[in-house]
Amino acid sequence: MPTKLSRRDFVRLCAGSAAAISMTGFLAPYMSEAVAAGAPSVIWLQGASCTGCSISLLNTVHPDIKKVLTEVISLRYHPNIMAAAGDLAIQEMFKVAEEGNFFLVVEGAVPTGADGLYCTVGEQNGHHITFENLVKTIGKKSNAILSFGTCSAFGGIPATPPNPTNCKAVDQVVKDVPVINVPGCPPHPDWMVGTIAHVLLYGIPELDTFGRPKMFFSNIIHDNCERRQYFDNGIFAKTFGEPGCMLELGCKGPISHCDASTRLFNGGVNWCVKSGGVCIGCTEPQFPAWPMYERMAEMPVGPATSVTVDQVGIVLGGLAVAGIGGHLAGNIATGRIGPKKEDVEKEGDN
Amino acid sequence: MVKQMEDRHSVWIRFCHWVNMISITLLILTGYYIHAPHTFRLFSNMDTPRTIHFAMAYLLCFGVLIRVYYAIVAKDAKNIVFSVKEDTPKFPSMIKYYMFMADSHPYYGKYNPGQKMMYTGWLVMVLLQIITGFILYKPNMFMALGGFLGGYMAVRLIHYIVTWLFVLSVLAHVYLDISEGVPVLKSMFTGKIPADFDHGTHEEEIETGTGVGA
Repeated sequence: MPTKLSRRDFVRLCAGSAAAISMTGFLAPYMSEAVAAGAPSVIWLQGASCTGCSISLLNTVHPDIKKVLTEVISLRYHPNIMAAAGDLAIQEMFKVAEEGNFFLVVEGAVPTGADGLYCTVGEQNGHHITFENLVKTIGKKSNAILSFGTCSAFGGIPATPPNPTNCKAVDQVVKDVPVINVPGCPPHPDWMVGTIAHVLLYGIPELDTFGRPKMFFSNIIHDNCERRQYFDNGIFAKTFGEPGCMLELGCKGPISHCDASTRLFNGGVNWCVKSGGVCIGCTEPQFPAWPMYERMAEMPVGPATSVTVDQVGIVLGGLAVAGIGGHLAGNIATGRIGPKKEDVEKEGDN
Repeated sequence: MVKQMEDRHSVWIRFCHWVNMISITLLILTGYYIHAPHTFRLFSNMDTPRTIHFAMAYLLCFGVLIRVYYAIVAKDAKNIVFSVKEDTPKFPSMIKYYMFMADSHPYYGKYNPGQKMMYTGWLVMVLLQIITGFILYKPNMFMALGGFLGGYMAVRLIHYIVTWLFVLSVLAHVYLDISEGVPVLKSMFTGKIPADFDHGTHEEEIETGTGVGA
């Protein structure tokens, strides 16, 4: 086993690995070596989430997730897959946090309404631990926070209006700690394992404007879509199940950043568009506050009222036509244009 | 009898006007196809309209750049830029004229306040279109700007609604020009307009020979 993999090679591997190569399989030896040499451990917390990101992580196929969890990542706390429960687990989490030198993975948005009581994740000394409080206290001590999934990265579904629980993204709650956003609904396991690997081996990866690692999120879905040729040829699907580009069915591919179209989910088997669905833009900060199966969002025009831009256009167009028609009628009626005007001009010439 | 003509539009104004007219028309037509290829069946594939759209986008950038430069250097800006302080008081007489409540209107300069407002608005709209257009064209390069404007979906909305405003204001522009008389339309080709063309009462300018557009 080679002992040194340069950061450059690593990023190239992450960014370039197609479905044919299993990135996690290639990375595993390097990561287990780093863990054996005392790399920081990882705490995984879940807030306002659906556990989908954890499920997606469990889909790490090569090597299987058991090996990843026991040998590759030193995962010290995870609500779903840890063997311990109750006080034993909570105390272990606080112990790791006290020791320091760990990375915090947050899955799910942080409900801040009602002092965070909408989401309690355990008990300490007979008191509820709110998720908001836990993320703040543990997050401050961590080397960096990895926000896995759109909910923790940007707020996602829980933070979409009306948002009664006042959910927020992690980087809005915890300041002064580097936050890496790995959005996706769910994120691809490679994005999660790859980001963990990068922070363990080389530190914080290069991030884009929205805090996403550039090695996974610098491609536009539309640019590498397998249905791209349909778009270029002007063949557009009218209904689902038809061949053709699904732009008119509401595909958000042209405005979505990730490499799902080349990496493929489920161990390189399938992805959203290949299975006949549209891209819903799940890696973007505005997700899911847009209509998933419409080309354009509606425009807010008042409290709880929105209209489509086409309706706006039709109204404005009607007004313009009415205005022009009215003025034209007036022009003719008053003789500003028409035969009379020419008479006036002739008189002027004479 | 040869009509006495006076200069109205310099060759640069005419050049910019028609270059921008061509690029904006093509941008609107291709843009509608790119937006909704099923509804606006203007092309048979996506390559052609996209190529035209991007090429015309650059042409429009340069056309606007030249026009703005000309307006500053040739001191043409005072003719077309709406000034809230000076032009707002002129509105009532203009509205009276357009609502057929008055038969004539005073002389406003080269353009009346409504025209000034529209042309200034077009500059704002063009800049909006250029900014939002490039965000959508290069989503990676202008990611921060796109986020600042509320995300790509909001950028799309702005780009689309401003297109509608362009279409409708161009309709009004063409109608009003033609309804004022064919010489107005002609002047954008020849640059000249009959000296006795009614712009409101402005005998002084004709007598001193400064011309309407000078």
